[in-house]
Amino acid sequence: MATLEIKDLYASVETKEGRKQILKGVNLTVNSNETHAIMGPNGSGKSTLAYTLAGHPKYQVDSGVALLDGEDILTMTPDERAKAGLFLAMQYPVEVPGVSMTNFLRTAKTEIDGKAPAIRQWTKDLSGAMKKLRMDAKFAQRSVNEGFSGGEKKRAEVLQLELLKPKFAVLDETDSGLDVDALRIVSEGVNRAKENTGLGIMMVTHYTRILKYIKPDIVHVFADGHFVKTGGPELADELEESGYDRYLPEGANSESALA
Amino acid sequence: MSESGNMTEHEVTMPKADPNDPYALPALMPSSADRAPRSFSPDAFKMPTRRQEDWRFTPVDRIEEFFQLFEASGATKVTVSSIDGSALSDSQVDVRRVAKDVAPSGTVSKPNDRASSVEWASAKDALVVQIHQDTEVPVLITVTGGGLDLDALHLVIEVDDRVHADVVIEHQGQARLAEGVEITTGEQSHVSTTFIHEWTHDSKHVGNHRIHVGKEASLRHSVVTLSGDVVRIRMDQDFGGAQGDLNMLGIYFVDPGEHMEHRTMVVHNHPECKSRVVYKGALEGKNAHSTWVGNAMILPTAPGTDSYELNRNLVLTPGAVADSEPNLEIENGNIIGAGHASSVGRFDDEELFYLQSRGVPEAEARKLVVRGFFGELVEEIGIPSISGHLMATIDRRLAKGETEDMQHVLEGN
Repeated sequence: MATLEIKDLYASVETKEGRKQILKGVNLTVNSNETHAIMGPNGSGKSTLAYTLAGHPKYQVDSGVALLDGEDILTMTPDERAKAGLFLAMQYPVEVPGVSMTNFLRTAKTEIDGKAPAIRQWTKDLSGAMKKLRMDAKFAQRSVNEGFSGGEKKRAEVLQLELLKPKFAVLDETDSGLDVDALRIVSEGVNRAKENTGLGIMMVTHYTRILKYIKPDIVHVFADGHFVKTGGPELADELEESGYDRYLPEGANSESALA
Repeated sequence: MSESGNMTEHEVTMPKADPNDPYALPALMPSSADRAPRSFSPDAFKMPTRRQEDWRFTPVDRIEEFFQLFEASGATKVTVSSIDGSALSDSQVDVRRVAKDVAPSGTVSKPNDRASSVEWASAKDALVVQIHQDTEVPVLITVTGGGLDLDALHLVIEVDDRVHADVVIEHQGQARLAEGVEITTGEQSHVSTTFIHEWTHDSKHVGNHRIHVGKEASLRHSVVTLSGDVVRIRMDQDFGGAQGDLNMLGIYFVDPGEHMEHRTMVVHNHPECKSRVVYKGALEGKNAHSTWVGNAMILPTAPGTDSYELNRNLVLTPGAVADSEPNLEIENGNIIGAGHASSVGRFDDEELFYLQSRGVPEAEARKLVVRGFFGELVEEIGIPSISGHLMATIDRRLAKGETEDMQHVLEGN
């Protein structure tokens, strides 16, 4: 049983026009085995929250903490956060030319576990996980994410989630760009990870589509840099009906929130 | 490759140019080859300045001593063996010192700039390595610098017809070396030559490779430059007949203040030859400077040419400068292809973050990315003992300045 507690988190980003405050007092507690859906309009800061937790250098933490079992991960380097048990499935996974998936996965697994995996077990785990995600075995020999289609990239993210076995995963719009079949396969992978390891999930999404496959326990509305409403799965249905407009600051619409 | 009875002879008839209408036959317009001097005499060449096209990117003031006839120190040591230490038999590989004007020395084209003519004029003799039979393990030529007194070395590598041979030429130690290399390969031979330059950081090396690829022969010519204050290698090549195949691969790693320059000058002078030039470099720190100039000339006598050149540079930290210039001179419209690509890119922070977010520490993530950048190229060299040796050399180079622990991690990879 693990807990991730985000307390009063403020973060900003450097832009051409100067420093811009994006996260404005984020509070959230996620426990093992819980699935939280984080929904909100474009530009509300959902992805910033995801990347700030993972430690992307572009985002600066101004105040607040994110305690993973009592330890503030915000003071750690990105690799230390991963070792502490945090995983970010990215919306746009990065291509790393010349580094094979198999070499990358084995290096990451060795770092996370603190020791190299036994080769026979590892080979079995890797090919088993790839099979379940309907990934061709040839994938392992290709460079990380290079030339992968959108759907292949998302499968590769979930493959890592299953193999690295983190305590908490932030899924940043993992549903975007997936057709119905791919969405189902990817969702099954996330559900397997939760079942096998008691993973706590923060699922950032615009749409309720993925919630049919990955059932949230708690649904949050995120707008203007913080959580504005929290409820059960029924809140997602309400958002599907009425949209995000009522959660936006006065005079704004979801387009201007992008600015 | 050869299918006897199925060969076609190509006869190329040159039309006459009309001086009153030069654009009617653009292939007969004057080409840069007509203007470029070739001579064994230094006096045939002007003193290099940065105003001259060939020396535009070169810090000529740092290599002035290579432009005047000098008394060679003779301190450079050269040994020839097989790469695994086993003995070479004379019937397989003939190694001899000859007067520099005794063939095959001096037969592959002529010096093409001031530095190469000075090297020729200053060298006392030539070392000829002639390969008569297939090499089971690569031949290793080790060139060890003899300190900072200027020296000249003239090396000739000749491979007989139909022989398959791999040669590794390793440069090491402290040197101030003018080097001329002639490579000539026989008909239907398959040859690889891999030059590694791993000098001390105060060394200077000005090299000139003159290469002749035999009819229906293939040559893979690789250059790996890992260290040295100034290293400038110019490589001029031509084909000895139709259906030659040239593959030039290059890797360089430039530290702060160092200048590394590679100029590949490919000439297609026979029909249906193929050339590929792929050079990749990584640069680190203030005033690290690399230059790649890739010339490809396709002469009117070379229909069916297939040529491509590529240069990529990875700038690891700010303050480094990479010059990259492909030049194509195409005087024949009847070709398969003549392409080029060139880029200078910064180290990608997003790649780094992605690897870090998977638990890989920054220093190791950087190494993964750099290894990845070079890895495909090293693999392309295709001979396990050579690519293994190269990857180990690159790892050693990457591990410089790292803690003992990190070196251990890297070498364990």
